[in-house]
Amino acid sequence: MITEFLTRLRFLFSRNRRDERDDEFQFHLEHSIAAKVAAGLRPAEARRLALIEFGGVEAARAQCEQQRPGWWIGSTTQDLRYAIRMIRAHGWFSAAVIATLALGIGLNTMVFTLINAALFKPVPVPGGARLVAITSRAPGNGDDRLSYPDLIDYRAQARSFQALEGASDQEGILGEPGIPPEPYHLERTTTGVFSMLHIHPVLGRDFRASDAEPGAAPVLMIGYTVWQNRYAGSPSVIGRQIHINEKPATIIGVMPKGFMFPTTVDLWMPIVPTPRDLKRDNRQLQIFGLLQPGVNISSAQAELTAIAHRLVAQYPDTDKNTTALVMSFHERYNGGNIRMIFLLMLASVGFVLLIACANVANMMLSRAVARQREMSIRAALGASRWRVIRQLLIECVLLSVLGGTFGLALAAFGVHWFDLQTSTVGRPYWVQFTMDYSVFGYFAALCIVTGLLFGIAPAWRSSRPDLNEVLQEGARSIGHHRGGKLAAVLVIFQFALTLVLLTGAGVFVHSLIKTLDSNQSIPARELMVGRLQLPQDRYKDIAARQRFYDQLLPRLRALPGVTSAALTSNPPGLGSAESPVEIEYQPVPDRTHRPVVAYITASPGYFSTIRLPLLLGRDFQPTDGNASHRTAILTRGMADRFWPGQSALGKRFRLYDDQGKPGDWISVVGITANLLQDLTEQDPKPLFFVPIQQQDWSGISLVVESALNPTAAVRAAVQAVDQDLPLRSVFLLNEAVEHQTWYLHLFSKIFMGFAFIALLMAAVGIYAVLAQATSRRTQEIGVRIALGASLRNIMLLVMRRGLWQIGAGLAVGLAAAAPAARLMASLPIGVSPTDPGVFIAVAVLLAMVGLVACWLPARRAAALDPVKAIRYE
Amino acid sequence: MPTSTDLLQGTLDLLILQTLSLEPMHGWGVAQRIQQISKDALQIGQGSLYPALYRLEYKGWIKSEWGNSENNRRAKFYRLTAAGRKQLQSELETWDRLSAAIGLVLGRATEVSR
Repeated sequence: MITEFLTRLRFLFSRNRRDERDDEFQFHLEHSIAAKVAAGLRPAEARRLALIEFGGVEAARAQCEQQRPGWWIGSTTQDLRYAIRMIRAHGWFSAAVIATLALGIGLNTMVFTLINAALFKPVPVPGGARLVAITSRAPGNGDDRLSYPDLIDYRAQARSFQALEGASDQEGILGEPGIPPEPYHLERTTTGVFSMLHIHPVLGRDFRASDAEPGAAPVLMIGYTVWQNRYAGSPSVIGRQIHINEKPATIIGVMPKGFMFPTTVDLWMPIVPTPRDLKRDNRQLQIFGLLQPGVNISSAQAELTAIAHRLVAQYPDTDKNTTALVMSFHERYNGGNIRMIFLLMLASVGFVLLIACANVANMMLSRAVARQREMSIRAALGASRWRVIRQLLIECVLLSVLGGTFGLALAAFGVHWFDLQTSTVGRPYWVQFTMDYSVFGYFAALCIVTGLLFGIAPAWRSSRPDLNEVLQEGARSIGHHRGGKLAAVLVIFQFALTLVLLTGAGVFVHSLIKTLDSNQSIPARELMVGRLQLPQDRYKDIAARQRFYDQLLPRLRALPGVTSAALTSNPPGLGSAESPVEIEYQPVPDRTHRPVVAYITASPGYFSTIRLPLLLGRDFQPTDGNASHRTAILTRGMADRFWPGQSALGKRFRLYDDQGKPGDWISVVGITANLLQDLTEQDPKPLFFVPIQQQDWSGISLVVESALNPTAAVRAAVQAVDQDLPLRSVFLLNEAVEHQTWYLHLFSKIFMGFAFIALLMAAVGIYAVLAQATSRRTQEIGVRIALGASLRNIMLLVMRRGLWQIGAGLAVGLAAAAPAARLMASLPIGVSPTDPGVFIAVAVLLAMVGLVACWLPARRAAALDPVKAIRYE
Repeated sequence: MPTSTDLLQGTLDLLILQTLSLEPMHGWGVAQRIQQISKDALQIGQGSLYPALYRLEYKGWIKSEWGNSENNRRAKFYRLTAAGRKQLQSELETWDRLSAAIGLVLGRATEVSR
């Protein structure tokens, strides 16, 4: 055993010398000839027969060589060296392949990383894959919460869960002497939530069950960021007495860095159930559960559904609509639009990969055709078919690995960029866009499969030519027929896919431009907006709030640098309320389907602050809005919609509430220019304004026009009127609007990037194919020029093939792009339906790029010197 | 006439080992000897003979050395090693078992030599 191993080892390093083997063959042949001569043949004949009998000497050599243990290492290094030489010898070609692959693989890795993080990776806590959210309805369908008694019943009856905990989020304003109050995201939770997650405070103690008992001292758990930023990481924070929403509480602990369960929470307090909480129809809890090991979502769902049915029977008055939906955290928080956008990204990046593969396959194919002669010579000299294929495969895999490495770098950069771009959009803390191992796996598989994909087809082709034919006639005539069709199909395919991608990008960009174009007259860069939430306890009614506003506005207007200040419920472009409307003297056929209008509140002076021209009538006055004098100012769009061809001034309408009860009649006192409040709405509702005091809304936005940055001064002014009231969401208006439409900006950039890359690749692809084809026809072109073909003839000759491929690609692409654009517009992601202009624009763009790509090789062909060209080999 | 490719997989190795167990021999000699003993029924093509010899040598069952042939020409002689002898023994046993078994299945009880 050991000797055998040692022998093998010895032969691994010392090869039998080649001449020894040849001597041995020679010896064999001599004997063979001698034997035949002895049998009576003439020497020449004996020699001939012996040689025939022996067969191919080179094949025998190779077979002997292959018996050596580890023989393949030598030939593989040989192939590898050769591959590196070929890659370097065809620098531009290799660079194009590597770049194409890097883009294709890099983008895919990036998007896969993002999708994995956003849609699949479990929440990073022990047993995170078993963590589920329980809601009463599918996400995005309005109120989806459950009541505290529901939670108690499910806890008592369900066997599928290790733990069931409830939470309800609200704003928590942290106040204490010496530090200005700050608003945070507060989560009121049942006390077992942290132990369910196996996450414990880094400082202080966990919640105890006794913290939730009636009369227990109120306690507060703070997040790491709050601890660092507000308390400078001081350990003495434990036991500190603070006010949370103006009620006293004690800080008992600090949660670990990065922990913000369930989404972006800063503070946690135990739910101490009040009689109000214990009402069955007071549904304000989100429920989170940890499944028992081995229990899947569908069986947990079945159990909860059964319990919900029992509850319905038990409490018909309050629980008649009770249902419970069990879903993963990803479904709960990243479902709907986000999922849609990510899948759209996946689809488009898949297109990019297809284009990349087609491109590389095409380039390899055209080169394989050009190298057919080389391959044939190798085969004729005794290389086995496998050896030829392996040689090409190694080249391809090497190119893929190089491309993939660059792609990995690209992906890492892209993921980081995306992470930065989405860090401020309310992303749950557990969605972390970082590269991980499964992505590496995906990347590696993609890399190798791509390499094989484009490597094997051309390799298979070039290893199989009829040797004699190739060697006799040369590669020119053969390649033309064989490679032509497949290459043409690939080019058409590429152009079609590129067109679809460009259209997708066009749709996003078109929507983006539309939103950027809206409200052009508003000086968004000079307007600061900020939000105040007046607590119900201290500001019980409209009059109390009005007193606060009346104190605040003059102070704001007196600030240095401030030219104008006003109040509104929603600054321009930041949403609106909606209600069904009834126009006086205009009966509707169907009372249940009244037209819906959008409205916001505005203080006197708001229109001049945002520079919205008042076309007719007057601005609001302090006397507007009381019960006997309901007023409204319409946008021109609404006036034209309901009172076409007549003056709307003095006309009346009324709104209907959720229960279908009509409100007071409202009189129109003015008409302004149009304003767009809902930027992502495809079909914005007619908009009007009402005085602030006419709506019982406790939240209000400040809009301040200032030459300087007024943030600090505005904060101080608010504090001067009410020192416990924090100013939140402070932005310049343009930033706030961008924040609102972040995904349009982000995905416009992403899709434009994708489309640009696809465009580039398609151009490189058609160029490479035409250039290869043209260089194969150099001799022919030389002859044509020598025989008097004009410049135009030659250009046409070369470009004709490219032109019809572009044409066919555009036709196929347009046919596919139209439904794709319709599909995108139908998705609820805030893109608008596309006008034909987009199609025409992208088709023209693509055609131009294609033309240039065709023109370059054609021009080179036309500039050929016929004498040199004819001699070209 | 069956050629070497018709030989059962591994049988060629066995034949070579058996032939070399008699005396060290060069490649040509091995081929000739097998042909003679089998009364021309088995002709070993060079295309399989040399790869087989190399394979056996790499496995350490035979050893090669250069020497002078009968007509005083330099030739490579192969000789069985101790490991090769052991291998031959176990392969012969396997062969006997196998051929006896095949004989039984085919209903032709052959005289088992040795």
